[in-house]
Amino acid sequence: MFRRIWAIAQNTLSQAIRMRVAVVVIVLLLILLPLMSMTATGDQTALGKVQTFVSYSMSLTSLLLCVLTIIVSVYTVTNDLRRKHIFLVVSKPIRRFEIVTGKLLGVVMLDVMLLTVFGVIIYGLALFMPRMSRAEGAELEKVNREFFTSRTRLETSLDPDEIEQQSRRRYEQLKEDNRLPEDMTREQVMEVLRNEALSAAKSIPLGYVRKWEFENVRVSDPNEMIFIRYKLRGLPSPSDDQVYGNWRIGDFRSVDASGRLQAKTRPYYVSRPDPVRTFVEFSIPADVVAEDGYVSVELQNNPAISLVTIVAEDVQLLYRSGTFTGNFIRAELLILSRLVFLAVIGVSASTWLSFPVAVLVCMAVFLTGTVNGFIIESIDFVSAAFAILYQFTIRPVLWFLPKFDEAYNPTRFILEGRTLGWLFLGKVYLLTVFIKGGLLLLLGVFIFQHRELAKTSV
Amino acid sequence: MVAEAQYAIETFSLTKVFRDLWGRAKVVAVDGLNLKVRHNEIYGFLGPNGSGKTTTLKMLLNLLHPSKGRALVLGGTTGDPLISRRIGYLPEESYLYPYLSARETLDFFGKLFGLPNHVRNNRIEALLEMVGLMGMANRPVGTFSKGMARRIGLAQALINDPELLILDEPTSGMDPIGTRQIKDLILNLARRGKTILLCSHLLADVEDVCDRIGILYGGRMQVEGSVRSLLQQSNRNQIVTGPLSDQALGRIRQIITEEKTDVEMSSPMDKLEEFFIRIVTKAQQEKLPTSGAVSTTKIGDFLAREQQEKTTALLDQLVSASMELVPQGDAMLEKVHTEEKSQAPREDRELLSRLAKQKMEPVVRLEETQATELTSVPTDKSMEQVGDETVRKSVLESLIGPDKGQSGDAGTEITRPDSSEEDEDVS
Repeated sequence: MFRRIWAIAQNTLSQAIRMRVAVVVIVLLLILLPLMSMTATGDQTALGKVQTFVSYSMSLTSLLLCVLTIIVSVYTVTNDLRRKHIFLVVSKPIRRFEIVTGKLLGVVMLDVMLLTVFGVIIYGLALFMPRMSRAEGAELEKVNREFFTSRTRLETSLDPDEIEQQSRRRYEQLKEDNRLPEDMTREQVMEVLRNEALSAAKSIPLGYVRKWEFENVRVSDPNEMIFIRYKLRGLPSPSDDQVYGNWRIGDFRSVDASGRLQAKTRPYYVSRPDPVRTFVEFSIPADVVAEDGYVSVELQNNPAISLVTIVAEDVQLLYRSGTFTGNFIRAELLILSRLVFLAVIGVSASTWLSFPVAVLVCMAVFLTGTVNGFIIESIDFVSAAFAILYQFTIRPVLWFLPKFDEAYNPTRFILEGRTLGWLFLGKVYLLTVFIKGGLLLLLGVFIFQHRELAKTSV
Repeated sequence: MVAEAQYAIETFSLTKVFRDLWGRAKVVAVDGLNLKVRHNEIYGFLGPNGSGKTTTLKMLLNLLHPSKGRALVLGGTTGDPLISRRIGYLPEESYLYPYLSARETLDFFGKLFGLPNHVRNNRIEALLEMVGLMGMANRPVGTFSKGMARRIGLAQALINDPELLILDEPTSGMDPIGTRQIKDLILNLARRGKTILLCSHLLADVEDVCDRIGILYGGRMQVEGSVRSLLQQSNRNQIVTGPLSDQALGRIRQIITEEKTDVEMSSPMDKLEEFFIRIVTKAQQEKLPTSGAVSTTKIGDFLAREQQEKTTALLDQLVSASMELVPQGDAMLEKVHTEEKSQAPREDRELLSRLAKQKMEPVVRLEETQATELTSVPTDKSMEQVGDETVRKSVLESLIGPDKGQSGDAGTEITRPDSSEEDEDVS
C-alpha cells in the first residue's frame, strides 16, 4: 500500500515541479527575499529592520506557498481526471484512497521542500542583517535580547471576553431598569459600556497600586533575567508624555502579622519614568520568582511625582524559554500546518469540482482563514438575534474553517521573539491537520470512491 | 483467490443510461448487453462510433457504474486489486503523463503493481525492446508521436504480464508496419494463454486476429460468433491459380457454366497493407533518403525481426519473470543477443520481404470441407517465387500459431473468401 501511495506521491511531485506556477513562485521568492533583506527599514533601528524583514518575508512566503499549494493540489487531481491519466492509474491494482492519499502526500512533500529552502534563506538573511547594518553595542544587544531569542510571554488576564461579558451584563441591567438612552443603538451603547469597563479595569489613580500575578513562570536558570514588558498611558495626557511608577516585584503572598515578608525570594523595587503609548521593558534577575513559579508585579502610581491617572494598557512578563532557531523551526511548522490543511481541502474539493471552482472554494477558505477571528467577531454581533439558528448553522461552519490569523499567525511569534510552544503547535496540528483535515480527506476519499471517473460521453 | 470463472468477461444485461441534470434519461448507451468472452480467446468488439463499445469497456474497468446489470471480469470486479492486477488495459488514447520518459512511465505503472525492483527493471527493459523504443527510453512521452505513444501504452498494459488484455483501438495512429507487428503480437500473446478483448473499428485488423467477434449497435449486440462462421460463404468457392492461357480459362468457364452457377474471373488484388510494406522495404533496401519517417520504419524494421525471433524469447522472459523466480542474467543475455542481431539488418529485410511475399507463394491445400481452394498469385513477376516450404510454414505459424486449433489448414485464414464485413456491420 505504501509503495503505491509513494509512487503516486513521487509522480505528483514531478508533475508539480513542472508546473509553471511553481517555477514562478520559486523564482519570485528567490529574487524578493534577498531584495527585501536589503531594503527593509522599519523604524531605522537594527531591531526594526530585522523585524520588518522577517515579518514581510515570512508572510510573503506563507502567502505564496498557500496559493501554490491550492493550485497544485487542485491541478494534480483535476488534470488527471480531465486528461484521463486517471483511467490508466485506476485500472491498476490500486485503491482509490491510495490515489487520493498519494496526491496529498506529493503536494505536502513539495511544501516541505519549498518551506525548508525558503526557511533556510530567511533564517540566514535574518542572522546576517544586524551585521550588515553594522549594529553595535546597545542596539545589537537589544536585537539579541528581543529578537534573536525565544521568550515565553505571560499575559495579564484582562481579556476582552470578560470585558465583553461585563458590559453585556451592564447593558442588560440598564435595559431592565429602563435606563437605556433612546437615541442610541444597542451597538453604540455597548461600545460606550465596553470602553468604560476597560478603562475602569486598567486605571491606577494617584497613589493607588495595581497588582498582576503571574503563575507558572518556569525559568530554567535563576541566573537568567525575566522581563517586564508594558504599555502605559496617562489620563489626562501628561504634558511631558511621561508617567512615573514604582514597581515592586516579588512573592508577597505570605506576609506575617507584623507586616514582614515571609517569602524566600528577595523582592525587587524599580522606580522609573516611562514614555506613554509605547511598549517598554525592563529586566530583573530571575531569582525573584518563587519556587512554585509564582511572581507578583505591582505598580504604584507614584504620588510624589505623578500628576495623572495611569492607565496600564498591557502588562506582560517574559522569560527566555528557548532558542531563536528552535522557535523559527516551530514557526515554519506552523506555516506547514496551514499548507497541509490547504492541500487537503484542495485535493478533497477537486475530487468532485472542476479546476476553477475548486480553486475558488479553496481561496475562499484560505481568505476566510486569514480573517477568521474578525469574521467570527462580527457575525457574533449580527446574529445575536438569531442565536439558535446561528449556533447550529454558521458557527459550526466557521469553526470548521481554519484559523490563520491572530494567535495562529507564526510571524507574530518570531517578530516578538515569543516562544511558540510545542504544546501549542501540537494542538494546532491535532485540530487543524488531523481532525479537520482528516474529516475533509475522508469526505474527498468517499466522493472519489463512489464517483464515476469517466465522463459521460456517447 | 477468486474461484476461476467460466468466462474471462461476462456481463449480465449490462445497461448504461446517461441522464441529464434532472435525472431524465437522455441516452441509452449500452442496453442489456450480455457479453461473454471465453478464456484464451481473442474477442473482437466492433461497432460504429457511439455504439457503446467504449462505454462498455469503461464499465468493465469500473470507470463508469452500470445503470443496471452487472459485469464480471475474471470472476470479480475490477475495483478489486486482486482482479485488476491480472488485467492489462490500453485505452483508446494513451493518456500517459507527458512529462515522464518512456522508462519512467513503465516504472511508475510497475510500481502501482507492486512489482519488486529487479522484476520491474527486467520487464521494463524487455518491454522497451519489444515495442522498439529502447533508443528513446529517456525522452518524455509528451514528445512522442501518436504511434510511439501507442507503443508505450501497449508496453504499460503488458508490464504485469496480464491474463486479460483489454485493448481499445490498439492500432490507431500506427503505421502499417507497426499495425502488422501489433497484430502479430496479439496472436502471440493469445498463444500464450492470454485472453484479449480487442475493441476496434479497423475491421481489417479485427478480421486478421480475432477468434470471435461481436458487433454492437445502439448499445445492443447485433451479431456474435466466430469470425469464420460469420464470414465464410460456404455456398461459394474461390479458385486461385498461376498464369493460365485464355484457352484454359475458357474451358474452366465452360465447366462451371455446366454446373449451372455464376462465375466471375479476374486477377486477384494485393492487400494494400502488404503492398505498402513491400514498397517501404524496397525503399529501405535502396537506402532512399527520407525525412522523419525513417525512424518509424526503423522501429518497424526492428520490431518485425523481433516479431519472428525475439518476441517469443521476450514473452518467455516476461512470463517467467514471475515475482519469485527471476533469471537475473537473462535480460542481459537477451540484450546482447539483440545487439548482435541489429548489426545484421539484411536478415530483417529478408524477413520483411518474406512477410510480404507469403501470400504470393503457390499454395494448394485441400480443406476437409467441401470447398477446394487453389491459391497462387502471379501478380508480381519481379518477385522471385520462393518455394521454400519450411520458411513459409514458419512464417505462417508465427502469424496464426500452430496450436490454435486450426488443425493444420493454416492457409484457410488467408485465402478464405470474404463476405464484406461492412455489410454485417450495417445490418
